[in-house]
Amino acid sequence: MDAHVDHILIVDDDREIRELVSTYLTKNGLRVTVAPDGRHMRTFLEANTVDLIVLDVMLPGDDGLVLCRELRAGKHRATPVLMLTARDDETDRIIGLEMGADDYLAKPFAARELLARIKAVLRRTRMLPPNLQITEAGQILAFGSWQLDTTARHLIDAEGTIVALSGAEYRLLRVFVDHPQRVLNRDQLLNLTQGREAEMFERSIDLLVSRLRQRLNDDAREPSYIKTVRSEGYVFAAPVEIREARQ
Amino acid sequence: MKAPGWAWPRTLRSRLFLILLTGLVVAHGLSFAVLFSERYMSARQVMLGTLETDVATSIAILDRLPAAERPQWLPRVNRGNYQYILGTGLPGVPEMTARGRDIAERITEASGGRFPVRVESIPGDGKRVQAHLTLSDGSPLTIDVHPRMTPIAQWLPYVLILQLLLLILCCWFAVRLAIRPLVALGDAADALDPNTQSAPLDESGPTELARAARAFNAMRGRIARFVEERVQILAAISHDLQTPITRMKLRAEMADDSDEKRKMLNDLSEIQTLVQEGLAYARSAHGDGEKASRVDLGSFVESLAYDYQDTGKDVTVLQNAGGAIVTRPHALRRVLTNLIDNAIKFGGSAELRVRRDRDVVAIEVLDRGTGIPDDQLEAVLKPFVRLEQSRSRETGGTGLGLAIAHELTTAIGGTLTLRNRDGGGLAAEVRLG
Repeated sequence: MDAHVDHILIVDDDREIRELVSTYLTKNGLRVTVAPDGRHMRTFLEANTVDLIVLDVMLPGDDGLVLCRELRAGKHRATPVLMLTARDDETDRIIGLEMGADDYLAKPFAARELLARIKAVLRRTRMLPPNLQITEAGQILAFGSWQLDTTARHLIDAEGTIVALSGAEYRLLRVFVDHPQRVLNRDQLLNLTQGREAEMFERSIDLLVSRLRQRLNDDAREPSYIKTVRSEGYVFAAPVEIREARQ
Repeated sequence: MKAPGWAWPRTLRSRLFLILLTGLVVAHGLSFAVLFSERYMSARQVMLGTLETDVATSIAILDRLPAAERPQWLPRVNRGNYQYILGTGLPGVPEMTARGRDIAERITEASGGRFPVRVESIPGDGKRVQAHLTLSDGSPLTIDVHPRMTPIAQWLPYVLILQLLLLILCCWFAVRLAIRPLVALGDAADALDPNTQSAPLDESGPTELARAARAFNAMRGRIARFVEERVQILAAISHDLQTPITRMKLRAEMADDSDEKRKMLNDLSEIQTLVQEGLAYARSAHGDGEKASRVDLGSFVESLAYDYQDTGKDVTVLQNAGGAIVTRPHALRRVLTNLIDNAIKFGGSAELRVRRDRDVVAIEVLDRGTGIPDDQLEAVLKPFVRLEQSRSRETGGTGLGLAIAHELTTAIGGTLTLRNRDGGGLAAEVRLG
């Protein structure tokens, strides 16, 4: 029904990895172009557009982080980027997300996992109405008496104390603050908050919302942040502002 | 070597103090004794000398004086050591000491043979002797001799005690001066932590100490370099392994489904885990440079449990203390995930209990697995130590999870202890603050 074939650009300096990934993704119905470094990537993107870019962090010449920042500043700023980090490390993940990547995957990865992640990112970017605010540019987002650190993925209260969030709680809150004053239905929220193991286990959105309200000290009967819209879904009622932009 | 019943003190401080003090006191005592005996001998010489001439003169004077005037003269001829008694004196015995004989001889000689002298010692009264003679008018005269030293001065004992105190004080001070840098060196070695940039040892002071301090600081630098190098080597190895492992994984996935493929993928994941854990361990000792922040304890533990629950793992929070702690959240999270992973691996599920006693926070991760033999509880905190039976490679794991947790806990200023629970299972406790 949809004739569009997603076009993926893979930037990795290892020839064999490029070829293997390319073969696997093509076999799974994607269109793939490969580039060994940033120079080739730039040349290709001058004349073409793609649906998603898989970007290795360790590249000869300009590394993936530099390229990612460059992409975010140019005409391809809307193209989602999936970073391949060298290791499953907190700092790498944080830097990658800081540079504007939409997701990351640690090497060595399984091809299956890469495919699932590509699909999730694509689904996520298409699912939502465009962000009302470009919160990607913000490291610290502020609403009410709270601040949300989007790199460390935790809340900071008025006294500066860190209030931790589980992965699912963070993803849900992030969807809300990205779409303030907009009613989001449960299907949208569920899709957007699914984590890696989401296929295995699903938490109902209502439970997640109630946990999140607890974290925000939001009274469930008279919530000031996340309001229930009867038979429709939820709406994030507080205005969100970017407190601290990314460098 | 040790004489029975005679305990050589354990501390260098006491030993040095004892040696110095004993030496000084003995030397001091010896010189005092020599001085005293020398003085005694010369005093005796003087006494006997004066006895001879004095006695001769005194007897001659008393002999010439009319009997009625003699008592008046007695005080003038009496001396500290001997008095003249106009009478027969006390009854005595002829036996006497060598000293008594010496005195007797002198008196006999002094009388010049004009007056026959009979010297007797007075029994029961020390060295007291009495010389009896008869003056030319026939009246008896007794010389009562108390051969004694002039008494030692009243102030002498005080001076002695004062000197002794001075010796003790000086010894104590010298020992303290010598030991203190040694204690400081020990403290510095104890506190040596390549992760933190603690202040170097003070390199001033006496030459020997300055040298030791310099050597210690240099050693500290070398240890820091070794640790750094270890991290770099592990990081380089693990990084360079990523690409070939990725290739192999991708290639294996391309292959047709078979038992071989499954086994190969399993092996590759094992290698991958080992590489990652090895790097994590190397880093844990090094510290990741994460800054400490104030963290709400309740939400920290709860969100951790939720993350597990969301992936279908049985992790529950039994007890949760509120309030905030100042810590390095990523490091603490890593510690707890390692402990929880361990609990899940061997017990199937994990329970968390957070208690707070003023500034000390204790986070316990509990399981109902097989536990660990008591004599191995400390060993399993070391890297690559696995238990032979239950916790072997078969069950998976690199043997680094607990080691990483241990190192990281230390790096954030806490302690990690394992113990077996009543009724089976393991309790891992992280204490912070």
